[in-house]
Amino acid sequence: MQNLPFYQVQGSEIELFERAWRNRLPLLIKGPTGCGKTRFVAHMATKLDLPLHTVACHDDLTAADLVGRHLIVDGQTVWTDGPLTRAVREGGICYLDEVVEARKDTTVVLHPLADDRRILPIDRTGELLVAPPSFMLVVSYNPGYQNFLKGMKPSTRQRFISLAFDFPPAAQEEAILVGESGIDAMTAKRLVSIANAFRTLRDHDLEEVASTRLLVYAASLIKDGCDPTLACRAALVETLTDDPETAVALREVIDATFGR
Amino acid sequence: MEEYVGELWHKLVTRVADKQHSEAAVSLDEISKTAAIFFRALGGDPGLNLSAAPATRHGARRRWKERLATSGERVELSWRDGETLRLPERISIFSERSLNRDLYFWLVALSAVETNNNLPWIQQNQQATLATLARFPGLVPRYHRLVAALLPLRVNPENLPTAEAAQEFAIRQALMQPGSVKTLPPSKTPFYPVALWTHPNPPASAINHISAGDGAPERDSSEDANIAKSRRKHAAERTDMPDGKDGFLMMFRAESLFSWTEYINVNRPQDEEDDIESAALAAEDMDSMTVARDGETSVAKLRFDLDLPPAGEDETPLGEGISLPEWDYKKQVMQVDYCRLQEMVSAQTVPCELPAQLRRTARRLRSQFQALAPTRIWLKGQQDGEEIDLDAWVRQEADLLSGVHADSRGLYRAQVNQQRDLACLLLADLSLSTDTYASDHARVIDVIRDSLFLFSEALTATGDQFAMYGFSSLKRGNIRFNLLKSFEEKYDNQTRGRIKAIKPGYYTRMGAAIRYASTLLAVQPQCQRLLLLLTDGKPNDLDRYEGRYGIEDTRMALHEARQQGLRPFCVTIDNEANEYLPHLFGASGFAVIRKPEDLPKELPLLYAQMTH
Repeated sequence: MQNLPFYQVQGSEIELFERAWRNRLPLLIKGPTGCGKTRFVAHMATKLDLPLHTVACHDDLTAADLVGRHLIVDGQTVWTDGPLTRAVREGGICYLDEVVEARKDTTVVLHPLADDRRILPIDRTGELLVAPPSFMLVVSYNPGYQNFLKGMKPSTRQRFISLAFDFPPAAQEEAILVGESGIDAMTAKRLVSIANAFRTLRDHDLEEVASTRLLVYAASLIKDGCDPTLACRAALVETLTDDPETAVALREVIDATFGR
Repeated sequence: MEEYVGELWHKLVTRVADKQHSEAAVSLDEISKTAAIFFRALGGDPGLNLSAAPATRHGARRRWKERLATSGERVELSWRDGETLRLPERISIFSERSLNRDLYFWLVALSAVETNNNLPWIQQNQQATLATLARFPGLVPRYHRLVAALLPLRVNPENLPTAEAAQEFAIRQALMQPGSVKTLPPSKTPFYPVALWTHPNPPASAINHISAGDGAPERDSSEDANIAKSRRKHAAERTDMPDGKDGFLMMFRAESLFSWTEYINVNRPQDEEDDIESAALAAEDMDSMTVARDGETSVAKLRFDLDLPPAGEDETPLGEGISLPEWDYKKQVMQVDYCRLQEMVSAQTVPCELPAQLRRTARRLRSQFQALAPTRIWLKGQQDGEEIDLDAWVRQEADLLSGVHADSRGLYRAQVNQQRDLACLLLADLSLSTDTYASDHARVIDVIRDSLFLFSEALTATGDQFAMYGFSSLKRGNIRFNLLKSFEEKYDNQTRGRIKAIKPGYYTRMGAAIRYASTLLAVQPQCQRLLLLLTDGKPNDLDRYEGRYGIEDTRMALHEARQQGLRPFCVTIDNEANEYLPHLFGASGFAVIRKPEDLPKELPLLYAQMTH
């Protein structure tokens, strides 16, 4: 277990992940962007000593991208496994990030894997893979920003146990900032206070709010010697809004925290 | 001549006495949006409105120049109540613009913290200051800059009588070291107001539930809008409208200005003549206006359609009427079966064609929207599919022959259905305010009518399922829900006739209409369901359904709609919508059309953006 990725425990998520893995249940993680979903999966994969195959889903993702395809090499066709097939063969974790971005017909290939059958039929090769006990399917999505025309089909959704993530409480988030970037506790406290001020604006003035990831970016800039106000503007304000008046208000919050 | 000289003298002496720095002034309009976001970010109640504070008389000692000019007797201070955060309309007390701006943001920050309202005013302000500075340490230098700039502007305590001097010393001490002063020494003369603190005794806003005269709508007239350019609000007190039976006319006009202010319980339905200018001037001089809700504004254009809606006159009720709940935000309870909604269909519908002036636009929209209609299209370069993609095959073979490593592009063509699994319900606000003129030649209702026509044309071209309803209300027992087109009906001459027959109704009880529309939309089998609200103003009705009550009920109704998996979106022509719509629909849940006459062509385009 070398190089265990840093992860700040928020609640009972580690225990739940382990139980899901032991009982061969697929897991759905939902939460706002940048709250640590991907990091958590990476952490758990290392902890359980399993190979991790991550697929960032997009709307052009086809079933073949997941399962595999025939490639033509020197005039011959050679079958190449996709990340999902590879994870099943190796008995590792297959993690589909932002799964709602994938087309609906694509996610259907997950169905036989995500229920008690735990099989992956590959119709091109006529193969039927049975997932070993250590295989685990993890998907994630961000309920906030999902496109109006994209949602998760209930038939897909109801095959998973679900884990809701949110931004960690202030003290934990400060610990994350200190752990990730090495800034001092006082600056971390101020950054988190700014983020929480911005987060109250969700659904009202801002569509997306400051993620822990953005805070880590800001903290890294500050650690590198950047002026805190400038770092926050670059990492938080301009990232979150294009509206000039909203940007002014956000800058006022930063000034109110770091001083001017 | 006398008048001319008087005016000159007034101008001269006010300029001499004026210690404001108008060249460095910052007005609320400039910063209101930013300030509102700042307030919410600091944890302020997102349901509050931001509004200009009425100037109030402070009664403190003035300088001789000010007394001479009879200026400086009123001051604008900030305060907060259950509905509104009030800030001065303009701040120009410092000579530096940045300081005036800082003061605005300081007042907003101060208002965002919760303080114990039972404490004496001076302690409350010191506590709020301490709490603000502790939470936002970055404000400390700004606060000290403001205090340092403010103190020289205040009356020097050494020139004051003992009692007043003690008071002034205490205030100065409290400003410099917040938390150090426990009580304010008593004095006969009120102290000079403190610009950095909240109002010592804000005018009580009596938002009691006072019913207006039976069924009398409070008219908004276009003239109102012209006078009300100034955002300054007058302190208002509300009283009951005199009965009207035993009123007598008092032909009396006192010399003193006070007579304007005193509320005399006399029933004079038409006050004076409609001399708006002199009324506006008088209003400027008043400390407080007494407003009785008698349902009329003093404007020549009065319309008396105050009766209850006629049953069965030109509209046929459909069914028994539906009971709907309503949310009371103060008690935080859902009042079950509180409203009664009646679905209606216009009885005098004459089936008609699309109006001629819209045909060209409609044709263009139809061809644009046909592009959105579900079609079967061929995708090239697929990994699998019904046919071989010959282009891709040839390219790959050529690559192989030339020795280039072939990439793993697909060699098939596949045919896919682009499905639009979408239902949309459009809910149009048909309240009385739609009777006003939107431009030189069209009323708001005409604009809405054209929008409904073009919207239907566009949606028919896409093949999306849609329904259209209109609504207006007269108190909670009488919410009219006009059927224009249901999901089952086809868009034909019959439905066009109904659209043509829409006319301004009464008020805007938005919550109930949204709740009922949600139930209609929620039973649609489509995956994506859009609830589109078309409106020209805030939720309001004759009873207590106004201000925050109406907003919060609407917000709750929208929340319920989202829970049912619907997506609400609001299209409005209200230029002040930015003040309340974010609270209801979220930052990206609404669109404001600045020019109402653009609505008919903007609405279908908005729909296309939303769904494509």
